[in-house]
Amino acid sequence: MDVSKEEAQKSLGEIQDTVQRTKKMVAYAGGDTLFIVWGVIWVLGYLSTHFLPLLCQWVWLVLVAAGIIISIMVNRSGMPLRIPAGKNIAWFWLLLYLYASLWIALLFPFIKVRGHEQSQMFWRHMGAILATVPMFAYVVMGFWLARFMVWLGLAVTALTFLGLLAIQPYFWLWMAAAGGGTLIGTGLFIRNRWR
Amino acid sequence: MSGIDKVIHEPVRLRVMASLVTVAPKAQVDFTYLRDLLKVTDGNLGAHLQRLEEAGYIAVQKTFVGRKPRTFISTTLKGREAFAHYVAALKQIIEGGEAG
Repeated sequence: MDVSKEEAQKSLGEIQDTVQRTKKMVAYAGGDTLFIVWGVIWVLGYLSTHFLPLLCQWVWLVLVAAGIIISIMVNRSGMPLRIPAGKNIAWFWLLLYLYASLWIALLFPFIKVRGHEQSQMFWRHMGAILATVPMFAYVVMGFWLARFMVWLGLAVTALTFLGLLAIQPYFWLWMAAAGGGTLIGTGLFIRNRWR
Repeated sequence: MSGIDKVIHEPVRLRVMASLVTVAPKAQVDFTYLRDLLKVTDGNLGAHLQRLEEAGYIAVQKTFVGRKPRTFISTTLKGREAFAHYVAALKQIIEGGEAG
C-alpha cells in the first residue's frame, strides 16, 4: 500500500487531534473536578487544623463526608470509561484506610506524649500519615489509570515529608498550600490543557 | 509490502484506534461517547468497529448498565501493537524512508 508523505502527515495529524479530543473526553468525565474538589477539601481542612485546632476534627469529618458524596455523584454522572479494575480500586481504598486505621488504633495506647511540643509533633506526624495514605493510593491507581497520578502521588508525598522535616511550625499551612494546591493545580492543568 | 496497515489506515478506523489507545490498556470506552467524539453515525461506527474486531484489534462488549443496554469497546494487545507499528511506519514515510 503506497502512502505519500503528505498523506502520512495528514494521518499523523488526525491521530494527534483524536488523542487530544479523547483526553478532553476523559477530563470532561470528571477527573479534573475530583482533583479540584479534594484539593479544596485539603486546603479548608488543613487551614482549620492550623487556625481552629479544637474544632478541626469536626471540620474534617464534614469535609471528607462531602468529598465522598461528591466523588460518588461525579462517578455516576455518566463516565465514558469503564475500568475493569474499578470495583477493585474502590475496595483497595476502603481496605487501605481500614488497615491504616487499625495500626493507628493498635499503636495509640503505647504512644507516650509529654507536653505541648511533643503533642504538636505527634499530631503533625499523624497528619502526614493520613495525607500520604491517599497519595500511596494515587501511585498504585496510576498504574491502572494514568501515569501522571503516580508522579502526583510521589510529589505530594515528597512535599509532605519536606513540610514535616523542614517547616514544622507551619506544617498545616504548608500542607494546605503545597498538598491542596498541588491537587487543585493538577485538576486545573487537566481542565485547561485537555479541554 | 509496506508497513501501512490497511485496516487501520481508513480515516474512521484510524481515529477509533487513536482514541482507544489513548486510554489505559483494558479500559473500555462507551460506544455513544466514541460516536460523539468522532462525529459519525451509529451505523457507520458499528461497521468500522466490526472490521476492527474481525482483525482482532478491538474487543466489543455488550452489557446492561441498570436497565439500559450499553456497548463498551477496548483495544486488544494485538491492536495496540498494530497501531504502534502503523504510527512508526507513518513517521518513517515522513522522515523520507520507506515504510515496511
